[in-house]
Amino acid sequence: MADDKRVGAPSLAGSAKEPLVICDGLVKVFGRLRVLDGLDLAIGVGETFGLVGPNGSGKTTLMRILAGLVRPTAGSVRVLGRRLPDPRVAASLGYMTQLSALYLDLTARENLRFFCSIYGLRGQERERRIAEILARVDLSADADRVVATFSGGMRQRLSLACALVHRPRLALLDEPTVGVDPELRRSFWDYFAQLNREGTTIIVSTHHLDEAARCSRLGLLRFGRLLACGTPHELLAGAGTSDMEAAFLYYAARGRQEEVTA
Amino acid sequence: MNGARVLALTSRIIRQIVRDRRTLALVFLVPLLVMCVLYVVLTGSSGSVPTLALVRPTGVGSDALNVLIDRLLPPASRLKTVTITADEVEDVLNKSEADAALVFPADLAAQLARGEHPRLQLVLEGSDPAVATAMRESVTALVRQLDVALAQAQSRASQGAGQTVPITTQTTSLLTLAEPRYLHGGPDYTSNDALAPVFIGVFSFFFVFLLTSVAFLRERSQGTIERVLASPLSRAELVMGYVCGFTLFALVQAIVVLLFVVFVLRVHYQGNLGLVFLVAILLTVSGVNLGIFLSTFAQNEFQIIQFIPLVFGLQVLLSGIFWPVEQLPAWLQPVAYLLPLTYANEALRAVMLKGSDFGQIAPQLAALLVFMVLMIGLSALTVRRQVA
Repeated sequence: MADDKRVGAPSLAGSAKEPLVICDGLVKVFGRLRVLDGLDLAIGVGETFGLVGPNGSGKTTLMRILAGLVRPTAGSVRVLGRRLPDPRVAASLGYMTQLSALYLDLTARENLRFFCSIYGLRGQERERRIAEILARVDLSADADRVVATFSGGMRQRLSLACALVHRPRLALLDEPTVGVDPELRRSFWDYFAQLNREGTTIIVSTHHLDEAARCSRLGLLRFGRLLACGTPHELLAGAGTSDMEAAFLYYAARGRQEEVTA
Repeated sequence: MNGARVLALTSRIIRQIVRDRRTLALVFLVPLLVMCVLYVVLTGSSGSVPTLALVRPTGVGSDALNVLIDRLLPPASRLKTVTITADEVEDVLNKSEADAALVFPADLAAQLARGEHPRLQLVLEGSDPAVATAMRESVTALVRQLDVALAQAQSRASQGAGQTVPITTQTTSLLTLAEPRYLHGGPDYTSNDALAPVFIGVFSFFFVFLLTSVAFLRERSQGTIERVLASPLSRAELVMGYVCGFTLFALVQAIVVLLFVVFVLRVHYQGNLGLVFLVAILLTVSGVNLGIFLSTFAQNEFQIIQFIPLVFGLQVLLSGIFWPVEQLPAWLQPVAYLLPLTYANEALRAVMLKGSDFGQIAPQLAALLVFMVLMIGLSALTVRRQVA
């Protein structure tokens, strides 16, 4: 298999000019359910892009399409300059699923080792990165405990570590702060900001609207459509409010009106 | 296919199983327990009527002897007989047309007339020890009766001639029954000898199927499959990693079963152990892939348990473990030949009891290979289906 372009391989496109992620008319139908309904989206290099929307708005489906796990019913996706499906993209992605998705019978370190290895990291480099990220998510002391004994917050931290340990160029984080206490949430977001400064593009879904303010841009998602997209400042200004929740409700109402008039 | 990624997955699976001590213990101890119970339970009485092939005396004066032999034979409801020629013996036994052959010297009448002690030879097919033992006993009894009858006839004849000859009754003085020759196996083969090889196959297939289906189900239910599929690990590497991890355990298990069978239960075997492991590997790889395939039809562990009668029960009943496939109703026999264990059993018995070589079990190996490729295809298809 010739898909061994490693993390950050220069041959991958995605120059500063071309957006890192381009979705064009994405439609995904599960049975009779239209989960994504003609979604257009472009996300640039170095952004922290927040996907905001209620449950069932299509956030997770969009994430899974970007991760190459789901094929859209219609429309096209380009990630890192390649049209999906393309196995070469996978090495540069980090995907944190909604469930903590860990091997409960293994220790934290063994989980990280496994994910490192399938991303092609080995030997001392692997151990160095594992030690580094364990310190980052404050799990160094518990590294050799079996994950089954971990609390919810610890699992969430380890899950994040597993998604980022191979230093992806694009991190897809699906509701990373669900079930996480406020203090830890804040430290997660500090970490995201740091990663972002180091050049990682982040797409993060959330329904904590206070988190949305920390994104460089936001996409408001409802019924598989993008209601609005812009910087938090732009969105607030457009809605004529200083409250993100009020802004979201404003755009949701506007979306319904458009549906009626159409 | 990237070896390092496959190895990562394989070593993860091994680590997970090793960590689950209870499962590990069950995987290795249950087969031993089952075999011990079988060892005790099985007395090896076979229901069918055995067949004895007779190579009759043909020389001058044989007619009277043949009449005598026929008169002394047990009724056909207990022993069927066929008459063959001396050079047909091995052929008839190998084709299982008879279970044993009793060879009389062609010039039996002449030898008796000369006062010699004719040697009779019993040839046993031998791969079913229970049948072999039964045959040995009934033939020995038959020869003894024949001996007594001949002695009485001779003494009557000599009395008629006015000579006094001591009447021989108890001792076998006229006929000698040579030590039986075994085509396969030997005098100390027991029913367990015929069953033990089969269990190596049963256990390697079954436990690996069970472990894989549960492991793969967990991978789905805890969501790790999403992570793995989003990584550079390809579908082929995923299947390969699972196959390697579980095949290793199945082989260790096969070794444990084999050692136990040979050294603790003292079951006899001959033949190439390499071939035994080859069969075990083919079965294991099939079992892993069947496990992956069926696990996608189960939402939880309970549903996996429901697959056991389907996968395991059916095969144990139909694959010739306890009774030969030929004894099944005609319409069921084709079903038996769709099951991998049928071929595995034939191959394992042939290797361990008859010392068959690679060429002799090639058809069975080919059938197992076909089944394995089919299962790999099915599991690859289902892993692909994980991506909607």
